[in-house]
Amino acid sequence: MPEQPYEPERAVAGTGMGGQMDLGASEAATLTPAGPEPAGPQERPRSLWSDAWHDLRRNPVFLISALVILFLIVISLWPSLIAPGNPLQCELSKAQDGSRPGHPFGYDGQGCDVYTRTVYGARTSVAVGVLSTLGVAVLGSVLGGLAGFFGGFWDSVLSRITDVFFAIPVVLGGLVLLSVITSNTVWPVIGFIVLLGWPQISRIARGSVITAKQHDYVQAARALGASNSRLLLRHITPNAVAPVIVVATIALGTYISLEATLSFLGVGLKPPSVSWGIDISAAAPYIRNAPHALLWPSGALAVTVLAFIMLGDAVRDALDPKLR
Amino acid sequence: MPEPILEVRGLVKHYPLTRGILLRKQIGAVKAVDGVDFHLDRGETLGIVGESGCGKSTVAKMLVNLERPTAGEIRYKGEDITRLSGKALKAVRRNIQMVFQDPYTSLNPRMTVGDIIGEAYDIHPEAAPKGDRRRRVRELLDVVGLNPEYLNRYPHQFSGGQRQRIGIARGLALRPEIIVADEPVSALDVSVQAQVINLLDRLQKEFDLSYVFIAHDLSIVRHISDRVGVMYLGRIVETGTDTEIYDHPTHPYTQALLSAVPVPDPEAREDRERIILAGDVPSPTNIPSGCRFRTRCWKARERCALEVPALAVPAAFRDEGGPAAHDSACHFAEEKRVVPAEGSGGHGGGPG
Amino acid sequence: MLLEVRDLHVEFHTRDGVARAVNGVSYGVDAGETLAVLGESGSGKSVTAQTVMGILDTPPGRITGGEVLFEGRDLLKLKEEQRRKVRGAEMAMIFQDALSSLNPVLTVGDQLGEMFTVHRGMSRKDARARAVELMDRVRIPGARERVKQYPHQFSGGMRQRIMIAMAMALEPKLIIADEPTTALDVTVQAQVMELLAELQRELRMGLILITHDLGVVADVADRIAVMYAGRIVETAPVHDIYQAPAHPYTRGLLESIPRLDHKGRELYAIKGLPPNLTRIPSGCPFHPRCPMARDVCRTDVPPLYEVSPRRGSACHFFRECLDA
Repeated sequence: MPEQPYEPERAVAGTGMGGQMDLGASEAATLTPAGPEPAGPQERPRSLWSDAWHDLRRNPVFLISALVILFLIVISLWPSLIAPGNPLQCELSKAQDGSRPGHPFGYDGQGCDVYTRTVYGARTSVAVGVLSTLGVAVLGSVLGGLAGFFGGFWDSVLSRITDVFFAIPVVLGGLVLLSVITSNTVWPVIGFIVLLGWPQISRIARGSVITAKQHDYVQAARALGASNSRLLLRHITPNAVAPVIVVATIALGTYISLEATLSFLGVGLKPPSVSWGIDISAAAPYIRNAPHALLWPSGALAVTVLAFIMLGDAVRDALDPKLR
Repeated sequence: MPEPILEVRGLVKHYPLTRGILLRKQIGAVKAVDGVDFHLDRGETLGIVGESGCGKSTVAKMLVNLERPTAGEIRYKGEDITRLSGKALKAVRRNIQMVFQDPYTSLNPRMTVGDIIGEAYDIHPEAAPKGDRRRRVRELLDVVGLNPEYLNRYPHQFSGGQRQRIGIARGLALRPEIIVADEPVSALDVSVQAQVINLLDRLQKEFDLSYVFIAHDLSIVRHISDRVGVMYLGRIVETGTDTEIYDHPTHPYTQALLSAVPVPDPEAREDRERIILAGDVPSPTNIPSGCRFRTRCWKARERCALEVPALAVPAAFRDEGGPAAHDSACHFAEEKRVVPAEGSGGHGGGPG
Repeated sequence: MLLEVRDLHVEFHTRDGVARAVNGVSYGVDAGETLAVLGESGSGKSVTAQTVMGILDTPPGRITGGEVLFEGRDLLKLKEEQRRKVRGAEMAMIFQDALSSLNPVLTVGDQLGEMFTVHRGMSRKDARARAVELMDRVRIPGARERVKQYPHQFSGGMRQRIMIAMAMALEPKLIIADEPTTALDVTVQAQVMELLAELQRELRMGLILITHDLGVVADVADRIAVMYAGRIVETAPVHDIYQAPAHPYTRGLLESIPRLDHKGRELYAIKGLPPNLTRIPSGCPFHPRCPMARDVCRTDVPPLYEVSPRRGSACHFFRECLDA
């Protein structure tokens, strides 16, 4: 075997079992079973997912980000739990005022309560981020994964279609498509993001499925007589899903800011809807006089995006037994 | 003579070379395997040797139905398995299993050892009753010399040699009759190779297995094989028992191959004749006419470019018999001993 | 002595702790001599060579002791600037994988010529002429035309010849060849080894051949150093070692390889696995796998005993091993 200067594989091979593993192989020469197992009681059967969950529960990064996300989801569903006010009730006389009792974040340029609006804004951002990522991930990985697995004619067709979508400028596309829609809900924005976002995930999924497909263990399973669905679900998906998760969590952040951009341009959500994007763009011109009005929604946005990225990172690590 | 357990006739695999993205046009073919015949008897080991690109791995893949042949037959107990599909194919697969070369990529890194070996029973539920599977997996680990308690470990926690044992256990799970091993030890360290070779030897006796053993290392192939086939550019050029091939080779390619193997004996280096072949192996997209070895052969004459030599006992040896009288696809076959005779120097018995 | 390595120590910092890859290696090569360094993966043979060449990655590697004397100067004390002048001009290295060692976007002529333009300050035209000369010398047919081709247009054997030509370009005094033929087919391997040996004789270079192949060693080496767990366990002239090894590890290796000239019975297999470099066994590192091990082997590290004037063995019981 070609020698490498340093072999992480071998270094890992000894962890926690060094002496015993060596014994196992040495005994093979004499055909007796290996020595007693010191590694604790008889282990129950485990699967990849249960092992991953076992790891995640002990990972502080996961716990913190999951708590943040849980909190965000709760306040998106029931904002009035922590914000009794009405985000649309504004008093111009208080415009740009600082913190007051009962209004800890102060007021924005229109005299609206920044605290209430920040809490209510979570709903839009979380809804757009989560739902469009979900849509993009499902559509993209199913199409890309199947194309990568089966190859051939439909794979070529799909590749050309993704090329076409990549050529569409996102903001211009948004201006054209969304300007004809009058509905003031999050759905057109989500639909638009899914329409333009899936090719990115589809490419990643196709690539990682093709890589995973070529591994000998897939051939080995096929030689055992495994069906295509078993190959896809047991062997290929677990080994191809990590890049999709990573790209999707990063994309989630960009989708939230894309919503803000579109709202700023007047084609996303429009007032009286409440969204961090709308508030950020509204507060941007007054950054000198009333920085708090910009700070709180931006901070909320940053924390949200960070939480999703850290969550994705933790899940990816947990799904990789090599790091265990 | 009893019927062979496996018989291969006229096996061909051509990969089309295409151009164009949506509308593909064939512009040629990679002739990876180009007419291979052999048989395998019950309980014996057939070694297939050859250099990279000779098509030996493609043959292995066709034997276990990972690739469909372009033409030819693979008869398992008389039945052609190349045209099977669905249930019938699945049933045949139980009996012909494969051991892969690379112990690092042949095990799914995200499955436990127990799941990897036990997967055979998920796919073929009739092979073992549900409650019995765990016990069988433990038994298999024990058989290949691993601690049965390693069931819940992941492949990366094992060394290369141990992984190869796991791969062998997976191959044995369905109690096959034939194991196709494609370079099973070439990725392992010298000291671990011997362990795995001995294991394969022992399993063959224990489970009455027939092996097709594919490798580029001629010494290992001699050690493990009863009969040997030498492949060059998609064809078998010489085949016979291990003594016939190694001690009485008649095909010039076999002779060159054997003479090039470095022998671990410094005394032999001065008086050993080495046949150094000119040039490189031709591309399998453009195979020479007539004898495919003629472009590198020092004996080539006009006839070699015109006539494809058949794989048969050469006329010169047909009558006299003896070890030189075995199948060799050469118009000008001649016996030539290239491996130094046994016991000319080197070291004696084993340690301890 | 052309090159002398004295008591070299190298370690790597890994997640599992400190991997001690090289633990007190000493060896030397004379001009015109071939020293084979034999070992399995993880034995430290390549790390030692990389340290000699000065291409060890630090970090993660760290040289913790020892000297590398090249014609009397300690290379480890030189500044990187001076070190670079030694590399290529006075010592050169040939790697296993010729394809990844050559730059895919430059023609082989440019890469060969670079040796002369950089080190010798030649003009591009003269350098090109020298490149053709070199390719002729390593017997690449049609050198004048092929000098304009790219690495992927050559076969594996031809690429390794180009690597040899590159190493020879400045007529160095020492060549280190790290598994130069492992990736090649048997028939090509023979051609390349013959070429290397011939050029070495002609130019009277010192050659360090790093390999795991006992056959290749027997074919070309003058002396052997057998490495195990970062130590030299036996060193001897090539004939002595094959006739009667003085270390049980060497003996085990020789016994475990199948023979070409007869079909043996069961192979002798060294039990167990090479040690994990983060926890090398106490005493003699080979004792857990050694059929001759006794109590003293578990506690005392054996020094390299002098077996005969040019021969050493790091085994407490080398006499018994010789007689066995």
